[in-house]
Amino acid sequence: MATTTAAVTLSSDLMSANISVAASSTLMKAGTTADGLDMIDYGVIDIVTGDQFDLLDADNPSSSPIAGVMADKANKVYIANHSTDETYYVDIMIDAQAVGRLYAGDWMFIPWRAEDADADIEITANTGTNKIEYALFHQGRSLDAS
Amino acid sequence: MATTTATLTIASTDLLTDELSLSTTCTLTQTGTNTGVEDTTGLNRKKITSTAKGTASGQITLYTADDFAAIPYLYIKNLDTTAGNKIFVYDDTSTGDPLQFQLDANDWAFIPMHGDKTYKAYASNNPTSIEFMVIGKDQ
Repeated sequence: MATTTAAVTLSSDLMSANISVAASSTLMKAGTTADGLDMIDYGVIDIVTGDQFDLLDADNPSSSPIAGVMADKANKVYIANHSTDETYYVDIMIDAQAVGRLYAGDWMFIPWRAEDADADIEITANTGTNKIEYALFHQGRSLDAS
Repeated sequence: MATTTATLTIASTDLLTDELSLSTTCTLTQTGTNTGVEDTTGLNRKKITSTAKGTASGQITLYTADDFAAIPYLYIKNLDTTAGNKIFVYDDTSTGDPLQFQLDANDWAFIPMHGDKTYKAYASNNPTSIEFMVIGKDQ
């Protein structure tokens, strides 16, 4: 079993007392606290303005021998926009539902249900060409037949 | 001007042959600017007592649509420690209240949101404790 931890620290002087929130979790397979996620898809890609792309494909064709292997599992997704122009941003959607907007320098970390073949994680750049880093931690997924 | 940062660290010594050590920090700013965010709901800890969406009570409202100017940053953590005890976050603004995320025990998420949808949470078990905070610019 692999042990992968994901931690967030939020720090701010917004309030009279400094905010310092820290959370950490070990990325586990669905329904267990003893077996960690052991697979990763990782990439860096340029997204040009205008088109909508599937950044991560839920891809659970019913005809596949491993259909549904990602569905309703404990998948985790990290996406960061490494653009440096503060006006550049990308929209993140799941099955055409807007779930996030990443301006230059922003990142997100979310659980991804991938509940059916339509639940792809989609990305659209709205300004410029955005350099996107992403990682999917999962316990197995299907590949497109060649 | 306040300075607010969010740092993510992902680490593993045995997922890959080489050690995985990924770290990124963003400074939370107002839309399309380098000006820092100014407002926050503060850190909340609450018990979710509803096990279904759309019921009259027991759900927790994490964020109300357009309460903040875009981009509000949402932090959520499921404080339950029993695997399978999930928190479900759904969009209460769109038709059909589509489910957005599910957080298993100990899971957390950090999401720069569009800000135009109300997010509510229910859980698979009653009660389930949740921790959350929204940071952004109030409007």
